[in-house]
Amino acid sequence: MDLWNWLEYGAWGLSALLGLHMLVDWLRTDSTYSEDVLTSSREGEIEALAEQHKAKEAQHG
Amino acid sequence: MADVDITSQTMDGMGPHGTKVGLLRVLGPAHVWALGVGIVLVGEYMGWNFAVGKGGAYAALIACWFAGILYSCVAMIDSEVTSTVASAGGQYTQAKHIIGPLMAFNVGLYLVFAYTMLEAANAITAGYLFSVVAQMTGHAGELDQRPFIILVIMFLAWLNYRGVLATLTFNLVITAVAFLAIIVLFLSTSGILGGGIMDHAALFEGHELPYGWIGVLAAMHFGLWYYLGIEGTTQAAEEVRSPARALPFGTLAGIMTLLIAATLTWYVCSGVLPWEFLGDGVNGSVAPLFDTARLSGSNALVWLLGFGTLFATLASANGCINDASRAWFAMGRDKYLPGWFGAVHPRYRTPYRAIVFLVPIALIFALGAPLDQVITFSILSGLLGYTFMPLNIILFRRKWPLETIKRGYEHPFHPIPAITLLTLCGVTFFAVFLGYGTQLVAMIGFYIVVSLWFHFWRYRFVNRGAQFTMPWPKPRGY
Amino acid sequence: MAHYQPPKQGKASQLIDVVVLVVLTVGALFVPLWLNMAGAAKSVTNPATAATWEALGQTPAQAAKYEALGYTPETAHDLILARFDYSFSVGALVTMIAVILLYYFLILRFSEVEYREVISEKFGE
Repeated sequence: MDLWNWLEYGAWGLSALLGLHMLVDWLRTDSTYSEDVLTSSREGEIEALAEQHKAKEAQHG
Repeated sequence: MADVDITSQTMDGMGPHGTKVGLLRVLGPAHVWALGVGIVLVGEYMGWNFAVGKGGAYAALIACWFAGILYSCVAMIDSEVTSTVASAGGQYTQAKHIIGPLMAFNVGLYLVFAYTMLEAANAITAGYLFSVVAQMTGHAGELDQRPFIILVIMFLAWLNYRGVLATLTFNLVITAVAFLAIIVLFLSTSGILGGGIMDHAALFEGHELPYGWIGVLAAMHFGLWYYLGIEGTTQAAEEVRSPARALPFGTLAGIMTLLIAATLTWYVCSGVLPWEFLGDGVNGSVAPLFDTARLSGSNALVWLLGFGTLFATLASANGCINDASRAWFAMGRDKYLPGWFGAVHPRYRTPYRAIVFLVPIALIFALGAPLDQVITFSILSGLLGYTFMPLNIILFRRKWPLETIKRGYEHPFHPIPAITLLTLCGVTFFAVFLGYGTQLVAMIGFYIVVSLWFHFWRYRFVNRGAQFTMPWPKPRGY
Repeated sequence: MAHYQPPKQGKASQLIDVVVLVVLTVGALFVPLWLNMAGAAKSVTNPATAATWEALGQTPAQAAKYEALGYTPETAHDLILARFDYSFSVGALVTMIAVILLYYFLILRFSEVEYREVISEKFGE
């Protein structure tokens, strides 16, 4: 066993960890929010959203 | 579309302000440059040298410049259209508005495959690099490359999952390092700083055009690799602060950077490495710039170019995940693909389902196919996309002449770039045919089958009028 | 004109669509590989008569580079002499051109039909 063997295991482990993190976050997100909210993005509406955001902030501020 | 009640107790604080969840506008022109150049620059570190094998060193240079012309046309055409069609789908959305849904579906798939295959090729190269470093540092036996290939894909997917600003800022830094490494290598091996080791005349002697002129044609196939992916800048359109200005600027600055980098790379590598070795990217020179540095006798250069190669592969894979997932997401959003993919992460504001879904696909190809095949698959998808672009711009100018829509950028000399691009695409199809005719036919067979599938089955789920989202007047002739 | 109302797609049907796409994609790359029809292999047609750099067609300057890279005339033999075969039949070329043209004809034709529908619904009468 030299350093590179340890690195191989490390790479397997880290990959699994990152994959697991994405998977868990994904499942948690899907169960927390409703499908309608998650898929509410629409092409071409982003500009309007950004402005609405500013307007809201101004109101609150 | 569901109406979301912002006073609702169950949905409060969901999206940006309790309403809808969209992608985040945070990027500037430098990020666009980093996305474009970052994806491509790896082509200078590996892969382009297959062109040398196809026709010799001179053939690779001629291919480099003709491919440069091809991509300059791509960049100009793309800049004009995208400065008006600013959407995450990039060329997919352009096709949808200008040519029609089936073309858009095909273009979307070109994008996803070109980028996912490129990502796989990058991961393969990174794995190889780790094994070389392991050997150089005295590791006994063969290093198992698989965990490193998987780690590269997983880490970058994770980075992409967590947010676009960090992802592309990361890209900006590592792309800049990789680009500077090429410059430093050029300066220190060409004799400008210190003693030069360039020996073009002696190395070319007797091997000027080993295959004759047909070799030059054949080299066009991998000549594309010097620049493949620069068109990906358009995928950032929904996340750029001012798309009409930043996208053309970032794209055109990107192609200029690449023309310089490509020519320098050819000059440095062909002046140090014999063409048979340089041209064999599987058994010979997998990473030609790195091999050049190894022959320079300077340890500092070896480390610099080693890191340059690694950074370039990471930057490219990173940009590919970014672009492929945006295209996949945009198609899901329009129901061209199952609508489930059209989801945005409420906190990170990324197309998270598309990102996760494409991970195993990239892994299948990175672990299961040889490098030149993966590259060819990527190049073919890219090539089909470039063939679409001249049709796209000609119809765009015909349906919406210049005075009808204000463009952020108007490309000059129309239709010369379109015709040049179409001609060069024809030449490249022939070049691919010379070496990989079977793949070409298999690939087009695949696109014909999925096109029929889309037209006769999938399209029923698509909302007809609503998918046309640009605030444009009615096209001429309809 | 009445607007087209797309049906809502169920979970199972969405899943089937994804599986179909993935199978087709993987097939398009791997089937040519499995059938051993993926071309572009190089082969040595004229093996060298002697294991020297001259017999491999290398000048002393070129041979020096190979030695610096760690090759001997024996180990470099296949690397140096392997060549692509660019011969092709006119029939295969015509087939390829026909397939490409058919493909573009098909998508442009269907796209146009679908596009007219989109425009008439979007800009209404």
